[in-house]
Amino acid sequence: MDRLSRKFLRARKIPGTACSGCGLGQVHKRILLAIEGLGLGKDDLVWGTGIGCAGRQTFNTWLGDNFAGTHGRVYALAAGLRMALPRERRIVLTVGDGDAFGIGLKHLLNCARRNLDLTVIVADNLGFQSTGGQYGPTTPPGAVTDSSPYGLDEAGWLGPDLDILEILRAAGATFLARHLSLDGQGSVESVKAAILNPGFSLVHFIYPCVTHFGAVSLAERDKGRVLAWFREAFGDGPGEPGGGAGEGPGPRVGTGFLKFGRGVFHSAPGSRPDYSEQVKDWTRKMARGQGGGLATGNTP
Amino acid sequence: MAHDFEISLDFEACKGCGYCLEVCPGNVFDPGGVHNGKGYRPPVAARPGDCLGCQGCFMACPDFCLEVLRAPGKG
Ligand code: SF4
Ligand code: SF4
Ligand code: SF4
Repeated sequence: MDRLSRKFLRARKIPGTACSGCGLGQVHKRILLAIEGLGLGKDDLVWGTGIGCAGRQTFNTWLGDNFAGTHGRVYALAAGLRMALPRERRIVLTVGDGDAFGIGLKHLLNCARRNLDLTVIVADNLGFQSTGGQYGPTTPPGAVTDSSPYGLDEAGWLGPDLDILEILRAAGATFLARHLSLDGQGSVESVKAAILNPGFSLVHFIYPCVTHFGAVSLAERDKGRVLAWFREAFGDGPGEPGGGAGEGPGPRVGTGFLKFGRGVFHSAPGSRPDYSEQVKDWTRKMARGQGGGLATGNTP
Repeated sequence: MAHDFEISLDFEACKGCGYCLEVCPGNVFDPGGVHNGKGYRPPVAARPGDCLGCQGCFMACPDFCLEVLRAPGKG
């Protein structure tokens, strides 16, 4: 174990469940670096997990309180918790692309609409990888997967003409960023800003699945060349668009599909109210008898 | 000369992906030859004296098993 895991994680969960060379642990590490950087401890934060590789890697690892949702439903649980817990207790969710942008998208958008003070970290492996490598809502165009053997011809949330971050901004999210799991301190700073934002925040981390996306879609078993494809596809620097035609290793997947590369996409802390705070105010007023009906003393 | 940095690699927690070895600008690591309990071969920090302290290996390592520390007295 290292410093971070000794400080923040349960020893019996180390090493994690991810495949050798999977970038998921890099995402996990950047979240812990942000928590450490903000000086938060195990009692300051409640950690929720979704289903899939991302949920499994982080499930019940946090030394403090944990909760897990069924597939795509952890946002609804977090919404309830947000209304019950005081603002000082942060809520961080680690979920995958299928969970957040597929089956759970409606719940996610409703959390953004209410600007609930949640930090959603989407660890995106570009498809449904824990079930063996089927395409999902962020799989790049043309990718060969178990369920797209001739190459994916369906529009995805990662371009060429759409970007899920645009949808989330339109839905009311107040902090949005995108990074690669290999990014340095900039990605840690984005997670910190997400945790500090008193509203709905989402950091979209793309990470290499070496076992399915790398080996099948890119037809590349050399982990170094898989990483090179990710660097090219997701831009060389913050905010730069994904690369052009591409000399990447994957002859079957081009790299010019992305609308927005890496960095902070949208930051507007305090621009909209957090609905959970409104609910708490209302409940307090009711408890004082100002609203009639609910004066039971059962204050949150 | 005493080393400026110490590299601590948890042999049993490593999954042998080799990223530390690939990213290191100081060529500190060698491929390992010994299997751990999970069947992976962790690299060996063979030349800690060449470490620049850049933390590149720590940031690249996907498992919580590697850290680069200032050597005692090298504050
Ligand atoms: S299947 Fe892919 S995404 Fe899932 S743990 Fe393995 S390498 Fe990572
Ligand atoms: S800190 Fe930098 S120089 Fe030192 S071992 Fe790690 S990658 Fe190599
Ligand atoms: S990067 Fe980490 S898991 Fe991979 S070989 Fe090096 S120490 Fe082991």
